[in-house]
Amino acid sequence: MLELRNISKNYGDFELKEISIQIQKGEYFILLGRSGAGKSQLLEIISGLRKPDRGEIILNGRDITRENIQERKVGLVFQDFALFPHLTVFDNISYPLKMKKMKSGKIVKKVGEISDNLNVKHLLDRKPDVLSGGEKQRVAVARTLVTSPDIILLDEPMSSIDTPLRDDIRRLLRKINQSGMTILHVTHDHRESIRLAHRVGVIHNGRIIQIGHPVEVFAKPANRFVARFAGIQNFFKVDIIRENSRILGKSNKMSFVLPDGDYNENGIVMLKSDRIEITREKNNSYDNCVRATVNEIYRTESGFELYADAGEIFHVAITEKIKMGYNTDPGQTLFLCFTSADLQVI
Amino acid sequence: MQFKSPFHWVLLILSSLVLLFILAPLAGMILKTSGTELFETVIDRDVRKSVWLTLGVAFLATLFFSLGAIPLGWLLARNSFPGKRIVQGLIDLPIVLPHTAAGIALLGFISRDGLMGKIASGIGLNLVGNPVGIALAMAFVSLSFLINSSRDGFAAVPERLEKAALNLGASSFRMFFTVSVPLSWRSIASGFVMMFARGMSEFGAIVIIAYYPMTVPVLIYERFNQFGLSYARPAAVLFLAVALMVFIILRMISVNGGWKRVSPLREEDI
Repeated sequence: MLELRNISKNYGDFELKEISIQIQKGEYFILLGRSGAGKSQLLEIISGLRKPDRGEIILNGRDITRENIQERKVGLVFQDFALFPHLTVFDNISYPLKMKKMKSGKIVKKVGEISDNLNVKHLLDRKPDVLSGGEKQRVAVARTLVTSPDIILLDEPMSSIDTPLRDDIRRLLRKINQSGMTILHVTHDHRESIRLAHRVGVIHNGRIIQIGHPVEVFAKPANRFVARFAGIQNFFKVDIIRENSRILGKSNKMSFVLPDGDYNENGIVMLKSDRIEITREKNNSYDNCVRATVNEIYRTESGFELYADAGEIFHVAITEKIKMGYNTDPGQTLFLCFTSADLQVI
Repeated sequence: MQFKSPFHWVLLILSSLVLLFILAPLAGMILKTSGTELFETVIDRDVRKSVWLTLGVAFLATLFFSLGAIPLGWLLARNSFPGKRIVQGLIDLPIVLPHTAAGIALLGFISRDGLMGKIASGIGLNLVGNPVGIALAMAFVSLSFLINSSRDGFAAVPERLEKAALNLGASSFRMFFTVSVPLSWRSIASGFVMMFARGMSEFGAIVIIAYYPMTVPVLIYERFNQFGLSYARPAAVLFLAVALMVFIILRMISVNGGWKRVSPLREEDI
C-alpha cells in the first residue's frame, strides 16, 4: 500500500535518516515520537509538501516520490486543523472539489454525504472560528476524506482537542479506518497507539527505532527511549554477573536477581512501576525484595505514585486501596517486592 | 485610561501638541479660504481637469504596479534567499531618496535616450510630459508601501493554510488567489490605499518628469509661484477635501470588504 524506502532528508540542524516503513491497505499505523523527532517532516514528505533528498515513496505500487502534491491521493490532516478561516464549513469541505472543477450539484451532494457521515451537517454555514476543537477536527477530516485519498495522514490529531472530546475523535478515526481507509497517524502519546493502532513505529532523532504491534513494542521495548514511551520509569544501569545459579544485575547501589537468559556484561534493567508490590515485611515469595524509604507521594490519574529510595530511587504506582493499608508518608520504611520475571534487560 | 499621574499628564500634553501641529496648518488653511474662492476653484476647468488627472493616474499606477508588487510581497514573506536583505533595502530606497533625485533618476530612464524611453519611442510614445510618465513617477516613490504592506499581510497568514490548500488539490496559483490573498486582503488594501495616497500627493519627482499635464500638487505650486498664497490656497483646500474623501472611501472599502483579520491570524483559531 504505502511503502517508504530509505527516505532521508537533511534540514541542516536535523536529519531524517533512512526511514523505511511498509503500511498495508486498511492498516492503522501510528508513528510515535517526541516533538522534534521528525514525525511532521515525514508527513510533509509523504504528502509531497517537501521532496526527500534520497529514497522512494511507493503508493499502491506507484512511485510518487517526485509526483506533484496535487496528484498523490494522499490526504493530510494538519495539527490544529488548518481550516480556512475565511470560508464556511461548507466551503472548506467543498474546497478540494472546487479545485477539481466538479459541478456544483455534485459538490452539494458529496459535501452533504460526507458531512452527514462525520456529523458536521449542522455546522455547514458556520465559520471555523466558532467551532469547538472536536468540531474543527471533524471538519478537517471531512475536508480530507472528500478528496477520496488512498491514505490519510494525521498529524497529532488529538493535540488540540480537549480531553473529554478525544474519545469521540478516537471513535471517529476507528470508524473511518474500519471503513477501509488506511491511516498513518503521528503522535507523541503512546496511549493513542495502544487504543488505535494495528502497528506502531517509534521514531527518534529522525530514525525509526522499532516497529511492531503496540503490545509487543511496549512489552519489549527496543531501548530506553521506547520504554519511556511505554510509561516505564524505573531504569537501572547494571553489570551482569553469574553468582551461584543466579544471574545478578549489580548497579552501584544495589543488586537485582534477573530472569534466566543470555546477557552482555552490562545492560539496563527496566521495571514497570505497577509491577512493584509494597509490603511491611520482607516477602520471600518474591526473588527481589528491598527495603526502601518513602521520599514523596503524589496523586495520579489512576491512584498514587510513590518515590522510594532503596539505594536506587524507585517509582511505584499504587492504588488508593493499597495506600489505605500502609503508612506511605515520606520517611516511612517499606519493602518493594517484584519478581525477576518482571524485570526486562536491554 | 485615567490621567492620575504626572506621567500621563505629560504624555497627554505632548501628544496634544503633536496633533495640534498637524491640525493647525490645515485648519488655518481651510478657515482662511472663503466659500466663494472655493466655489470658483471648483468650477475652474483647469483645476477640475488636474484633480481628475491626479486621481486617475494615481489609481491606475497603483492598480498596474500592484500586479507585480503583491506577488513580490508574497515572495518576500515566504522565501529566504541570498541577498534578501539587499532586495528589501532596494524596495525601501524610494522612501528615503529625495524625491527630486528620484525624478532625475527616472527621467534618465524614461527620456528618449533612456532604456525605457527608447522602447516607448518605438511605439510612438514620449513618456516625458505624458500621464504615463507621471504614473511611473508616482509609482516609483510609492511602490514600497504596497510591497511592504503585502509582505506583512502574507507573512501573517499561517503557511500551514497554504500547504493545506496544495494538499487539497489547489495549484499554486489557486492557492494564492483562494487562500493567501483573501487572508491578507486587509494589509494589501491598506498598502494599496497608502500607495495611491502617496502617489497622488507626489510633487518632487513629477515636476521633473512632467510639468504638464499638471497634477494638483504641481498646479498648487505653480499658482503659488505665479500668483501667491491666496490664489494657491483654495486649490490646496479642494485637493485636501478630495484626497480625504477618496482616502475615507478606500479605507472603508478595505475595512468592510476584507475578511476579518482577527480570526484568521490568531494561531489558536486555525
